[in-house]
Amino acid sequence: MEAEKQHQFDVDLGNLMAFDSYHTFPSQPPLSREDLTRQCLLKGTHLVQAIADALFTLPSIEDVDGPLVTLPPPTTKLPREKHLPKPKPPTKWEAFAKKKGIQKRKKDKIVYDEQSGTWKRRHGYDRANDEDAIPIIEAKPTDDPEEDPFAKRKENKKNRIEKQEKNRLQNLKEAAKFGALPSHIQLAATALPITGTQAAPKKVTKDELGNVAGIAATATASGGKFDKKLAGEKPQKHEGKYRKFLPVVEGTGIGSLEREQTEKILNKIISKNSHNILNVEKAVTMHNVKKEKKRRSEKGKALASATDKKLKTQKKSFKKGDSKKGKAKGK
Amino acid sequence: MRPLDEKETSAVFEKLFKFVGNNLKNIVENPSHEGPDSNPGRYCFRLHKNKIFYASESLVKRATNVARPNLVSLGTCIGKYTHGGSFHLTVQALNLLAANAKHKVWLKPQSEMSFLYGNHVLKGALGKLSENIAAGDGVVVFSMADVPLGFGVAAKSTLDCRKLDPNGIVVLHQADVGEYLRMEDEL
Repeated sequence: MEAEKQHQFDVDLGNLMAFDSYHTFPSQPPLSREDLTRQCLLKGTHLVQAIADALFTLPSIEDVDGPLVTLPPPTTKLPREKHLPKPKPPTKWEAFAKKKGIQKRKKDKIVYDEQSGTWKRRHGYDRANDEDAIPIIEAKPTDDPEEDPFAKRKENKKNRIEKQEKNRLQNLKEAAKFGALPSHIQLAATALPITGTQAAPKKVTKDELGNVAGIAATATASGGKFDKKLAGEKPQKHEGKYRKFLPVVEGTGIGSLEREQTEKILNKIISKNSHNILNVEKAVTMHNVKKEKKRRSEKGKALASATDKKLKTQKKSFKKGDSKKGKAKGK
Repeated sequence: MRPLDEKETSAVFEKLFKFVGNNLKNIVENPSHEGPDSNPGRYCFRLHKNKIFYASESLVKRATNVARPNLVSLGTCIGKYTHGGSFHLTVQALNLLAANAKHKVWLKPQSEMSFLYGNHVLKGALGKLSENIAAGDGVVVFSMADVPLGFGVAAKSTLDCRKLDPNGIVVLHQADVGEYLRMEDEL
């Protein structure tokens, strides 16, 4: 009987898990809560027993602490704990390339070096066409005699690097808007000018470094509680973040930081309410006044037309007078 | 005490803007005339316990010599924060609002007492009111002698007030100078 039951159980030793696919609860006599609980516990006991039986049938290795067993790989696939990371928005270049239809193609690792006449690697140590390896730079007639061409090349390289870094940060800032920041940067995003809400500090102070280390220390399974400490490591003063405020009094005059903050918020509020400058009700009133003026001018015209009618009446009476005179002459 | 952070400053400014409009710039950038310093600076906002104080920079400097538990007040208290984080103006801000008010309402003499006991302003109590008040705007309430009595929120716009019956509410009461006696302990 027990053997038959055990054969029906599906045991996943990799996850130390067992379940019964064929189990059903009787539905006809409705079970009370206590009965249902008792049945669940009984079933659970059987399943745990099946796990224990399967575990103790595995070959074991003797050890000081007792027999050790290597578990087989798990067969049940567990779902992902967190949601999939959001896809990053395309960088500026990627968007441009897509728009232009530019295809990405790989470059060769080996490039011909004009200087030494041999084939060398494109990047890295002893690279091809290395600017630092050029001993002589010929001057052109248009060159400025005051200018050092070697220093100029060094300066150009520095500018290229700065531009590249600026573009990279801009792309990260764009990614931060969609919440698709790479995980290795998220912790540092508070200190970088990616979020755009605060200026990047010139140098990370001792306290800030301790704070970041404290936050990073809580990234383990026990939240840093049971982790081994390094030699000389002190307990963290601030395990998490804490708020920072501008100084109450800052030297002579109100602080420039506070002044900037106040000015920014003030301008935001005023610009948000700038639509109130146009007073709609006043405009409506003026419009009504104009309408009334037009009506009055129209009434004046009506009076003029009435005068015309009176003139016509006079003409008629004049005609009648003439006819009377004619009759008198006849008699 | 400490200066306000960005969110707190926004809450305070938006509430003040409701009553003073663009005169908010005058309040914020008002050059200070207090203190013996050659350059007294200007007025600033400081948070102490749950109250917001509007004080000159010179006063704030000297207040830093007093321990935080022992400091009771400084400058003008204009409002307080609730535990939920919203900002409420209190009656101490009345002088600041009255000097920069965007909309004003004047009460008849026989109705001043009703308002000073905390009642709303009715149509029959109105002596004068400024033009172009929209419903929901902040309003400062004056007596006919131009003495500020309190402030509130307009329940009706200026045009609607004309059609209102005498018992209709025109201004919803928020604060009045009677609170100095009625709520002396809480202020």
